[in-house]
Amino acid sequence: MTGASQTIHASGPARDGKIADRLARKRRFQNHVVQGLCLFATAIGLAFLVLILATLLHLGVKGLSLGVFTTVTKPPGSNGGLLNAILGSLIQTALGTAIGTPIGLLVGTYLAEYSAGSKLGDAVRFVSDVLLSAPSILIGLFVYTLLVTPFGGFSGWAGSVALAVIVIPIVVRTTEDMLRLIPVAMREAAVALGAPKWKSIVFICYRAARDGIATGVLLAIARIAGETAPLLFTSLGNLNWSVDLGKPMASLPVTIYQYAGSPFDDWVQLAWVAALLITFGVLALNVLARIVLRPRS
Amino acid sequence: MSTTTKFGDARPGIGAMSVRASAPLHEARISIRNLDFYYGANKALKGINLDFPAGQVTAMIGPSGCGKSTLLRVLNRMYDLYPGQRATGEVMMDGENIIAPGMDLNQLRSRIGMVFQKPTPFPMSIYDNIAFGVKLHETLNRAQMDERVEWSLTRAALWGEVKDRLTTSAMGLSGGQQQRLCIARTIAVRPEVILLDEPTSALDPISTLKIEELIDELKHDFTIAIVTHNMQQAARCADQVAFFYLGEMVEVAQAAQMFTAPKEKRTQEYITGRFG
Amino acid sequence: MTDHIVKSYENELKRLRALMTEMGGMVENQVEQAIQGVVQRDTAAAARAIDADPAVDAMEHEAEQFVIRMLALRQPMAQDLRQIVSSLKMTTDLERIGDYAANVAKRSVVLSQFSLSFPLSGLAQMARLVQENLKMVVDAIGDGDTDKALLVWRSDAPIDDLYNTIFRELITYMMEDPRNITPCTHLLFIAKNLERIGDHATNIAETIYYAVAGEPLTGARPKADSSSFTVVRPAGI
Repeated sequence: MTGASQTIHASGPARDGKIADRLARKRRFQNHVVQGLCLFATAIGLAFLVLILATLLHLGVKGLSLGVFTTVTKPPGSNGGLLNAILGSLIQTALGTAIGTPIGLLVGTYLAEYSAGSKLGDAVRFVSDVLLSAPSILIGLFVYTLLVTPFGGFSGWAGSVALAVIVIPIVVRTTEDMLRLIPVAMREAAVALGAPKWKSIVFICYRAARDGIATGVLLAIARIAGETAPLLFTSLGNLNWSVDLGKPMASLPVTIYQYAGSPFDDWVQLAWVAALLITFGVLALNVLARIVLRPRS
Repeated sequence: MSTTTKFGDARPGIGAMSVRASAPLHEARISIRNLDFYYGANKALKGINLDFPAGQVTAMIGPSGCGKSTLLRVLNRMYDLYPGQRATGEVMMDGENIIAPGMDLNQLRSRIGMVFQKPTPFPMSIYDNIAFGVKLHETLNRAQMDERVEWSLTRAALWGEVKDRLTTSAMGLSGGQQQRLCIARTIAVRPEVILLDEPTSALDPISTLKIEELIDELKHDFTIAIVTHNMQQAARCADQVAFFYLGEMVEVAQAAQMFTAPKEKRTQEYITGRFG
Repeated sequence: MTDHIVKSYENELKRLRALMTEMGGMVENQVEQAIQGVVQRDTAAAARAIDADPAVDAMEHEAEQFVIRMLALRQPMAQDLRQIVSSLKMTTDLERIGDYAANVAKRSVVLSQFSLSFPLSGLAQMARLVQENLKMVVDAIGDGDTDKALLVWRSDAPIDDLYNTIFRELITYMMEDPRNITPCTHLLFIAKNLERIGDHATNIAETIYYAVAGEPLTGARPKADSSSFTVVRPAGI
């Protein structure tokens, strides 16, 4: 075999050593330039991230106290906390996720498994993608006309539904993408054992796509935990203690919105604390998910 | 039965040629008559007539796109998953045309199992991988299921390697083990026919030999159809070999005949590596 | 038949065929020299036939190694498999023919010491037929010609007939004059060897036929050697 390759070499066009060297030098130079640019861009991005986190920590940590978690929001100058906002955020986020996830999961499943070649499927996918990038204030307005006006007032329910509407397209997209990543052979293997389609989806595909779908749900939670706009028109915010979903409900983002722009120093300080809580809450959730969903061998 | 065994054992030797002449004809487990298959408007199988003798290994060989895998997917109606694919003709098994409409596909697939090219363990424990298929067709208590899992893993020559880690994920097995798990999963349902679609093309030579040995073991209880690109594999495993080309079945013969003296020119050219 | 996709394999198959024809040619020549030694009482030719034997043995060894190599490395199928395995069988037959030729040559040297009181025309006739068959079968190896192989297969019977005649003739000479016993015994063996050469040529013809046609030559081989029963034929045979 070596004989053959040598023959090819010998009979092929000759190689010019000088040109080859020059091209190699040029290639190395280009490589350095591109590498340098990439590092520079990365550094800029990271710098902003670090700055944001540093500012957040610097301004937020000094306002942290036990009172933040035990007292509700109060008028300026009276040592208020964030208890009602924290609880309101938790309730609305949880409820929004609980409503949005199953719907998103089923729609995503429809798109990945049942809609092949159908016009309805294409339409649903298009609408879902539009919704994914729709301004969140629009979603707030939509829920406002749908739930707030007819039922005579702002409510925690309306806020949760608005958040659910944001959750749905995210879960739809990740579910569909993750289900599509599952090899055809795996589905066929399940079907070849005599499994009806729904069983192969529920028992095999969901299991195989579990980590991906869970990541999508977490992304959605992270997104809605920080949403302000859709809540302004729906749950409005509430300066008093209330866990009644039928009434206006406080939340951290809305509190930040209201406090940060106020002329009172203690309110501004609380806004930073709220921002810190949201950021690290989401971070904690992500870390937790990574630990739980760590691949086992 | 003793004649059958002798025939199987004698296959690799030259003596097989003389034994073959006196070997009794095996009853056909599946009979294909005038089968046509279409991918949309494209005719992928043309007038196929082929018998799969009970308790024997039938290998299907031919270049890519010749229709051999398509034929396999007709036998368990896998093509039903995809709109636009259809088959006409007769595929008779137990007096029933299995490609006729109204066939209970899930039940059919429990009688005709299939193992795929790439190992496809389900993302669950080794035990559950096997229990999944069994639960689809039978209601077994825990002890019965344990027994079935052990039986199928033993038949698939995997029990010794995994018996201490049945509850660990099947994804942690090696490629060869995964493929044997897939075979165990298939036979756990207790099918009558097993279809193998290039079952060793993703495996190393030793794992391949283990699967081939397994095929030899299994053919006493199951009728086996195997698609392979590896001519030596067909020669090693099969009792009967069918050569496909451009959607037609060019020739079918006993393996010894096929690989020493095929009748058709196209077969000769293909199996000796002279394909134009 | 179209060429093999792998050129080196095709070249090896061609080389194997060339090896077989070459070996066939060597043996053919050796047989010719040996017969010349007997019929023309040419001791120089006989010596050449004897000297040629080691080369034929070496050739057999080479062909055998080559075949084993090809079986291991190429995993041949169908007609390639038949050609390669047949070559292995044919080298054995050719090598045996070479051995018989050398033996004939050796005996012819002994024979040249005797003055013979009878003609060798029968033996010469038989030798000619054997040579013809051998030549034809060696040609058939080169061309893969089943017609020639069939012809050789069918024309072994006349050789056997001649052998029977010669056998009876030589026994008669020995009965007539005891001084004939030594040369006639050698001649008996020579005739027997020639007859064996004919049989091996027939073997080769059968092998060629299988290699090319893919099916064995069926039916009983035309045989006419009845020398075993020349003087006394037991009842029932």
